[in-house]
Amino acid sequence: MNDVMGIVYTSKDDLTLRELTSQRAVAAIPVAGRYRIIDFTLSSLVNSNIRNVGIIAQKNYHSLMDHLGSGKDWDLHTRNNGLFILPPFLTRENGGEYNGVLDALRANFDYLRRSRQEYVILTNSDYIMNTSFEPMIQQHIKSGADITLMYKKATPEITEFSSSSKNNHCFLNVDVNNVVKDIEINPNAASYDNLYLNVMMIKRTMLIYIVDQVISHGSHDLYADVLRPFINSGALKIMAFEEKGYYRRIETIRGYFNFNMDLLKPGVRNELFGSNPVYTKTRDSVPTIYRGNAKVKNSLIADGCVIDGEVENCVLFRGVNVAKGAKLKNCVIMQDGYIEDDVELENVIFDKAVTIRSHSRLIGQKQYPIVIGKNITL
Amino acid sequence: MKKKKCIAMLLAGGQGSRLGLLTKVMAKPAVPFGGKYRIIDFPLSNCTNSNIDTVGVLTQYRPLELNSYIGSGQTWDLDLSYGGVYVLPPYATADSSEWYKGTANAIFQNFGFIEQFDPEYVLVLSGDHIYKMDYNQMLQEHIDRKADVTIAVRPVPWEVAPSFGIMNVDAENNIVEFEEKPKQPKSNLASMGVYIFTWDIMKKYLTDDNADPNSKNDFGKNIIPNLLRDGKKLYAYAFTSYWKDVGTISSLWEANMDLLKDPPEFDLTDPRWKIYSRTPVMPPHFIADDAVVQNSMITEGCEIDGTVRDSVLFAGVTVEAGAIVEDSVIMPGTRIESGAVIRRSIVSENCVISKNCQVGEAEGDIALVGQSTTLPEGYAVKAGAQVDMDEISRKEGA
Repeated sequence: MNDVMGIVYTSKDDLTLRELTSQRAVAAIPVAGRYRIIDFTLSSLVNSNIRNVGIIAQKNYHSLMDHLGSGKDWDLHTRNNGLFILPPFLTRENGGEYNGVLDALRANFDYLRRSRQEYVILTNSDYIMNTSFEPMIQQHIKSGADITLMYKKATPEITEFSSSSKNNHCFLNVDVNNVVKDIEINPNAASYDNLYLNVMMIKRTMLIYIVDQVISHGSHDLYADVLRPFINSGALKIMAFEEKGYYRRIETIRGYFNFNMDLLKPGVRNELFGSNPVYTKTRDSVPTIYRGNAKVKNSLIADGCVIDGEVENCVLFRGVNVAKGAKLKNCVIMQDGYIEDDVELENVIFDKAVTIRSHSRLIGQKQYPIVIGKNITL
Repeated sequence: MKKKKCIAMLLAGGQGSRLGLLTKVMAKPAVPFGGKYRIIDFPLSNCTNSNIDTVGVLTQYRPLELNSYIGSGQTWDLDLSYGGVYVLPPYATADSSEWYKGTANAIFQNFGFIEQFDPEYVLVLSGDHIYKMDYNQMLQEHIDRKADVTIAVRPVPWEVAPSFGIMNVDAENNIVEFEEKPKQPKSNLASMGVYIFTWDIMKKYLTDDNADPNSKNDFGKNIIPNLLRDGKKLYAYAFTSYWKDVGTISSLWEANMDLLKDPPEFDLTDPRWKIYSRTPVMPPHFIADDAVVQNSMITEGCEIDGTVRDSVLFAGVTVEAGAIVEDSVIMPGTRIESGAVIRRSIVSENCVISKNCQVGEAEGDIALVGQSTTLPEGYAVKAGAQVDMDEISRKEGA
């Protein structure tokens, strides 16, 4: 077991994800047939032998709570440590809403103080990555850094962010000794190609001290009020750790769609699922049944589906029904979608439990897929 | 401590020798079934769904696979502070150490376990059958009829009746006679191996039976005849839904194929009667560009590049491009390489069927490949044949 605890920050609903986040946190968006985004973060922590994980939840945390339960599916239902869900609460000092990650940490000082681990990994949960944090933990301890920031070399696929919202996209200048020399926050054109992954490691007591100091001086922004001044002043030793594995931040509908389509590539599947398992809530579905008229190509399909139609380049979640004569191409159909006979769908995302009646036709654009919200019948 | 009204004792110690190589390294209840289940999931899920929350699982033969599968019982909601699932292997005492000598003896040796719950009734189950049954309903009838023992029976086709334990009943469904595998059956009501005993009666008859040196300590051969001899009230509880003995290679294969019919002969999808199983941690399955998948059941972790028809594939099976799987059952983790053709077969867990192998034939008996077998390239397994690693090394040595 590592002397490290994890704190997962679930950001507030992101409007660029439209219907998908109208009723749930980004972390709770269903992905890849049977997972939620947060499963990847949680599994990476658990696979790094981290057994004390706090989840900072926001106001719309119902769907997250429902998914996480006692944490037993991640083996986080232990006697000491385990899974702690930290929703916003109302006191004389708290307004019942977190104003950013520092505010959330400040509100949960009791949890931070009570935890026994020496170090904290503080991470967002709006990205897909399945990695072990062990190498970063090793580097952090060995190098004697105060803070270690995880980054990745930016490529066009990774930085295909939303143009409308500037959502803490940070780029780092890292020297040959892995020391962070500069940080750019939301640049229009970045000077560096080291994208900060919103994963950092720090001593628990130092985190408590910094949060207390910053908040008591009236500041709230982890990036502008903590990282930038410390990097620029050199008062703390801030190091960088390069992550080389698959990483996608889910920030737009297009990003969400592209990630699901990425899973149809064997290399991506292997990278995400090949070595470290990704844990999720089990649903006890039966295996998927293929009937006599099924024609399925290049698709990722979860359990509990019944397929009698044509499916090409699709990701089907648990319990999806595709009737005879239906044709699906480039679609992401979430749990319990019901596609009746002779329906034609292309470049479409269905949220959970969408039913589409016989002989309907819905054709979207690859660059701008059609999204149908939860529980809608067309 | 609060009394438990009814607890279950599940007899899982049998070898299941008629399953041949399949049970060489694991007990019969641990044999995989239906894409993501094992046989024992059915009685255990039935218990959970019938609100029977205390189950003793009696193991003896090759218990490792079964023990690790059951674990804490969390899968079936049987990880409770009072009650839950317990694995009960034979044990040694100060003056003796005995294997379970028979079904009745296995339960007799665990009277101590039963007594801690002080139950009124004891449900006896076996780990040999695929079925969904509300034991609570049976218990209710047992109580209403004030029976000493209630035995679940199911009508079977007359021609197969001679291979079952047959109950002859009167007009009120009271059992008047029990015949083990009768040549000329008088009834077609087969015992399902599901009994409810009033605990006091069980205690008396199993204790007496244990004292009898000539007894085979078997429910069918000794206990039931003794109860009938003494005029005890034995009631036959008729069950008419799907029930399949999967004690042979061909019946196990058939029961898997029953799931593929539309509508299925046996429906696993009822949300009010879920069958729980320990799910492997695997991503959804992937069907590649040139794959053909029809009339089949596929589950998590599979990668299909070849052709799969009328088959049941378990978790993590790979079917390479150009391979053909038809009318077959492929158990977890097995890889079928390109050019291999599998027909009317059961291939066990973690096998590698190398390039251009031929397993089974389009007609004839079901072929079987035993656990963790790697068939060399181009190897042929005839219809009805069984092969495993030992067999292959023998052939290679020769």
